[in-house]
Amino acid sequence: MFKSKVRKTRELNDEELVRQLQQQMDAELFGVLYDRYVERVYQKCMALAGDRDLAKDLAHDVFLKVFANLSKFDHRSKFGTWLYRVTYNYCLDHLRKDKKVRKEDLDERVQGEVPDRDANEEALLSLRAERLSAVLDAMDARDKAVLLMKYQDEMSIQDMCMVLELGESAVKMRMLRARERAVDTYQQLYGERP
Amino acid sequence: MSENPFKIIRPADRPPETLRKDVMGSVRLMMLMMRFMQLFVADWSATVFENVRVLKPVRDTNDPEQPTDP
Repeated sequence: MFKSKVRKTRELNDEELVRQLQQQMDAELFGVLYDRYVERVYQKCMALAGDRDLAKDLAHDVFLKVFANLSKFDHRSKFGTWLYRVTYNYCLDHLRKDKKVRKEDLDERVQGEVPDRDANEEALLSLRAERLSAVLDAMDARDKAVLLMKYQDEMSIQDMCMVLELGESAVKMRMLRARERAVDTYQQLYGERP
Repeated sequence: MSENPFKIIRPADRPPETLRKDVMGSVRLMMLMMRFMQLFVADWSATVFENVRVLKPVRDTNDPEQPTDP
């Protein structure tokens, strides 16, 4: 009987599962959501924190935060996007403690049209993987997260706006600045332009 | 064209085996606490989370612009 319940719930999509959980908290049902997303959440924590033990603790707390706040999920976005937002915010809050997150820059205020692409994008995409990895490790976690959303997870601007809680122009400006800082970091590490 | 280096460096680590047990154990504890706290506490979800999280909260009084969780 228990097995057939789990099998049945495994056939539900995310939104149906969440609606059931919003009606009645159920650990087994939440376990189905956990199994679907644990790899993505853990790997995102790992990418941002760069440390297995910390990534495990971050992933643990992210799932608890999601469980505690499921009743507040309003289904306006996909569940996966909302989960990404919780993961991103929780990781950055904790990396802030280690001073790996710089404070918001005033120069990120949007002035005029922001280009989608620039020479820095081509430069970053042509880097050797180990050098890119070193550059990202040396960068502020907020910049690193934006670059990973765009170039690793291939998130749409709309989803990035939702995760970052910013408007489209502000997201583009943040990406532009993150690319500039990545190129500057490369120059500091390797003494040449990429 | 060469492969996107961001894809190459994507972490491939599998989550630790113990993580599921830890999370589900904490979820069950939270459910117990929730049932109790719903009776007495207005924002019971935040209160329960604060009691079960592993990592301690970051409180930086100099920085009013912390990212906010939903």
